[in-house]
Amino acid sequence: MEQRRKEHRIVVLKINGEEHSVAVKDGETLLDVLRGRLRLTGTKKGCNLGVCGACTVLVNGEPKNSCLLLASSCEGVEINTIEGIAQGGMLHPLQRSFINYGAIQCGFCTPGMIMSALALIKQNARPSEEEIKEALSGNLCRCTGYVRIIEAVKNWKKYENKKSPPPQSDDLSQFATVGRSMPRVDAADKVTGRAKFTADYYFENMLYGKILHSPIAHGLIKKIDASAAEALPGVKLVLTGKDVPDITYGVSPARYDEHVLAKERVRYVGDEVAAVIAVDEETADRALNLIKIEYEELPAVFNPMEAINKGAPQLHDRYKDNINTYVDHHFGNIEKGFAEADYIREEEFVGNHTYQNSLEPHASIAYWDNDGSILVVYSSTQVPHYVQYMLARVLDIPLGNIRVFRPPVGGAFGGKSETSPLDLITAIASKKTGRPMKMVYTREEMFLHGRGRHKQYMKFKIGVKKNGKITAVKSKIYLDGGAYTSFGIVTAYYAGSMIPTLYQIPNYRYEGFRVMTNKPACGAMRGNGAPQPRFAFECLLNMIADDLGIDPIEIRLTNAMNPHTRTCNDLDVRSCEFKATLEEVARKSGWSEKYKSLPPGKGIGIGCGGFVSGAGYAIYRGQVQRSSEKKPETFVKKAVFPHSNAIVKISEDGTAVVLLILAAEIGQGAATVLSQICAETLGISLHRVRIRAEDSDISPLDLGAYSSRTTLMGGNAVARASRDVLDKLFAPVSKMWACASKDLTAKDNHIFYKSDKSKVIEWAEAARKYFNENGPLVGTGWYKPPEGLGGDYKGAAVGTSPAFSYGSSVCECIVDLETGKVKIEKFTDYHDCGTPINPKAVHGQVEGAVVMGAGETIMEEIIYDEKGNILNPNLHDYLLMTIKDAPEIFSGLVDSYEPEGPYGAKEVGEGATLRFLDT
Amino acid sequence: MTLSNIVYYEPRTLTEIFKLLKGLNSVRVMAGGTDLLVDLKQGLIDTRNIISLHKIRELKGIEKKNNTIKIGALTSIQEIISNSLINQHIPALADAAKSMASHQVRSLATIGGNICSAVPSADLPPPLIAAEATVDLKCLGSSREVPLSDFFRGPRETICRKEELLTSIFIPLQPPNTGMSYKKFTPREATALAVASVAASLTLKNGVIAKAVIVLGAVAPTPVMALKASKSLTTKEPSEDSFQETALTAKEESKPISDIRGSIWFRKELIYVLTRRALDEALSRAQGKLE
Repeated sequence: MEQRRKEHRIVVLKINGEEHSVAVKDGETLLDVLRGRLRLTGTKKGCNLGVCGACTVLVNGEPKNSCLLLASSCEGVEINTIEGIAQGGMLHPLQRSFINYGAIQCGFCTPGMIMSALALIKQNARPSEEEIKEALSGNLCRCTGYVRIIEAVKNWKKYENKKSPPPQSDDLSQFATVGRSMPRVDAADKVTGRAKFTADYYFENMLYGKILHSPIAHGLIKKIDASAAEALPGVKLVLTGKDVPDITYGVSPARYDEHVLAKERVRYVGDEVAAVIAVDEETADRALNLIKIEYEELPAVFNPMEAINKGAPQLHDRYKDNINTYVDHHFGNIEKGFAEADYIREEEFVGNHTYQNSLEPHASIAYWDNDGSILVVYSSTQVPHYVQYMLARVLDIPLGNIRVFRPPVGGAFGGKSETSPLDLITAIASKKTGRPMKMVYTREEMFLHGRGRHKQYMKFKIGVKKNGKITAVKSKIYLDGGAYTSFGIVTAYYAGSMIPTLYQIPNYRYEGFRVMTNKPACGAMRGNGAPQPRFAFECLLNMIADDLGIDPIEIRLTNAMNPHTRTCNDLDVRSCEFKATLEEVARKSGWSEKYKSLPPGKGIGIGCGGFVSGAGYAIYRGQVQRSSEKKPETFVKKAVFPHSNAIVKISEDGTAVVLLILAAEIGQGAATVLSQICAETLGISLHRVRIRAEDSDISPLDLGAYSSRTTLMGGNAVARASRDVLDKLFAPVSKMWACASKDLTAKDNHIFYKSDKSKVIEWAEAARKYFNENGPLVGTGWYKPPEGLGGDYKGAAVGTSPAFSYGSSVCECIVDLETGKVKIEKFTDYHDCGTPINPKAVHGQVEGAVVMGAGETIMEEIIYDEKGNILNPNLHDYLLMTIKDAPEIFSGLVDSYEPEGPYGAKEVGEGATLRFLDT
Repeated sequence: MTLSNIVYYEPRTLTEIFKLLKGLNSVRVMAGGTDLLVDLKQGLIDTRNIISLHKIRELKGIEKKNNTIKIGALTSIQEIISNSLINQHIPALADAAKSMASHQVRSLATIGGNICSAVPSADLPPPLIAAEATVDLKCLGSSREVPLSDFFRGPRETICRKEELLTSIFIPLQPPNTGMSYKKFTPREATALAVASVAASLTLKNGVIAKAVIVLGAVAPTPVMALKASKSLTTKEPSEDSFQETALTAKEESKPISDIRGSIWFRKELIYVLTRRALDEALSRAQGKLE
């Protein structure tokens, strides 16, 4: 047999009915050919190992993972991808059903989900719920909790008629747009594969980079020989520690402790040691293996309880006994509080070390623009502004010279809330090579980069009176931090500060130790630090209720937080309908009939939680400027600059509105909610509003999607900017009608004179006239959290917020008493998120949080071997819930109004996670 | 990514395959590719050449001849699930197939691949061994038929020689009053490997168990027959007590390891539970109470 030695072969692929002749390498997968060579990027790469299903295509009508097909084997078959589903500019009914049922959040799983569903409905036009679950069991979704996906597939036929309306909704809103379950503004892009995520972008002359990670958990780098890698054809640049700035980076200014690439020392398996930049990923990968590194291995420590012992290996000189953060908070007097108690119980709990696992892997692209002095970075990030800030610091260039572009983000959950090595390496390497640079993490690298949930070792003690009234709470928590600080200081503070927000606790002490270990750094995962202590607290409260013979809901009502309260740790609670959520969830779940009367193997339980609606203070202190220009300013109890800023710009013909705000759409629905607030305030239809939130050159600063801040803070900025537009627009109109501006109102795309119905002008007409006489019609608005938030003690800033959310959940499960397997059957949830802007989006967040929280509780955990290697850095072995595992969910809302929020709204995404982890 | 240097072959006849297998060094046969490509991407195995079977039509399909069901090695898992012969004659195999991975993977993966990958937790071998299946191993100019129970040598190791190809699987039709069952434990409902699994086959004659076969999966380097447990049931009347005792024996016979999916203790406990459940279901099927 003749040995073929040719690099490529020509294959003819028939995709969506069109033939493509492509030169492919033998080992190339269909997925890589679709995305890389044909630029059909609607098909996504999530895990590359055939688990996540984001790469699903149809081959002769059968759904298959395109990452498990060699392109060479695909000649002569019909391949269908997401790009071919909408025909002649018309969406397929299934796509319309996904849009209208709210089956989309981040949209990264959506193309694969639709392909699998399409294969099903072609065989079986009216599938049952079981059949849908079976057909979609190979498509993971991290955002939606699957509920609305099932509904969308079940009801797709309703959308065969092009005029069919969105599903009935029970929205009882006094407003035209706000308070209504509008379909997402980005949904059509996401169901067609048009939505371009960071890794989907391509620039001419682009180079690709890969990172060499440390194979050992702790050691000194003695020698690096990259000559063989540099000599490999196609390799353009090899970077090691000596090639990157000496400036450290991180999240909290007090603990910047990471270098772009390790300078002398590696501290965990996965630490970044070198980077190769080459003409393609494959060459870069191959070159990594040619870099020779000599390490002097140092003893490592993996358990925080060992790491704090004298004589344990030290990770950083600056963190004595490996204690990275120590918190000692004491409010009231716990000695007195416990002395007053009739009953005291103390227990220990451990909270899982889990990982966000957004379906979209981290990715960055960088190039230098203009005369080469302007850095442009495309990044899959929750926090474009902080990426900008950190790039300015490490590269030591003005913030103004950096443009961050944030394409749609395929899920984040806190895992993309800090500047990544990819952002930094692409920026540095593209400067050196003068070419655009792209880097994308593999799923394994995502795990190595880490920033997942801290494992927490918790001891809680609660004292109560006979009636269950809490007199004192004490907690001592050790957080396993991993090798760097990341968000960890904040995590350690949040682990304590959120406890007194839910219940009235007169006396409270919290001691927290965040400890360094030779593992990937832990960071801010959905609920940042708060969920596990909440789990511990809620469990202990249930135990105490049992011990005293009090119903678990009763003991909560006895202690529940009231509105307009200052907590013992100086947090200002405004709206709070916590009690209502307890009462509603008890009623809806049939609690009183079920609690303690279910047969063996069935269980019912309650857990509660809540969270901030945006951190009260920015992550860095002082002004918006490069941190090297100035030392951190002393802390003042007010926001130095506005945390959210918006510009509302009206098109010259008056018919369209462009909303500019850097708020990050990461799947949670920020773009839709902010557009709704804009439309409502302006009095125009939602479809007239377009939001541009991607580009820091275009949109004004917003701190990003973390600490559940977007709806409240971004929403306020948008409402103000919109009112600013109206103020300007009303001036000439009121002049025309000889009345005051306050006599005018804008709604239904018109401007009315309130007391004279005959006086009315089309909104667009008025705006056009404004432009003719005054030039551009533009409004601006901004939001600063209220001044003076928080107390005067060290760490008082963490936990402050303009508003807090509340909620209660009842969970019902079945336990296989012989194998111990837990099946979570049903969740009933009621949430106080203020007055929702988009109820469907709220329910979507709750459902997603249920499934993530339930998964974290019963099947997720990162596992290490004794040398610090992760044993399950893939979606085969790190288990996310599939559609078949997800429970039935009821998500309900209680009436609430948050005075500090736009149209009375506050957060939902993170608070929900807390209760599902602890229920 | 060890996939980048692969040389891919797509022969159109069995003879071509046999010639390639003989002539090439560092070679792997690819059926569905769902194990092979994953292993290659993860660097778990290394190979220079891949021979794809997918152009060989004769390796696909399910047919009944005389008293045997023949399944071509290239038959996809999804086809096994929906095939009427399988559902009629050995529903436990369809159950095992249904429990595997996801729809997408099942429409790629094949029965031959599931057997030849020889992963200890593979789902199809236990029910196939319980049904006393044999496999046909062919090479240039010769062929041999071996019982599947003799096929596995260790994790990812089989008796299949480098120049040989597993072409088909033969399952004898089960005697009357025979029932089979496959039970497995996974931590989630889809796309999860078995932590432990049990296939059981019972043949009844005049109310007593004439023959019993119990096969354990994921608790030894290969799927194994629980010989003592199987024997302990013959000539006995099926009862809760006898099944319980047999399950305890099966548990003793299992030799699992501890890994991220489960500890030795947990796996042994699972074998006890799963054996009982498999026997219960096999009995119902043998008595015609199911389906």
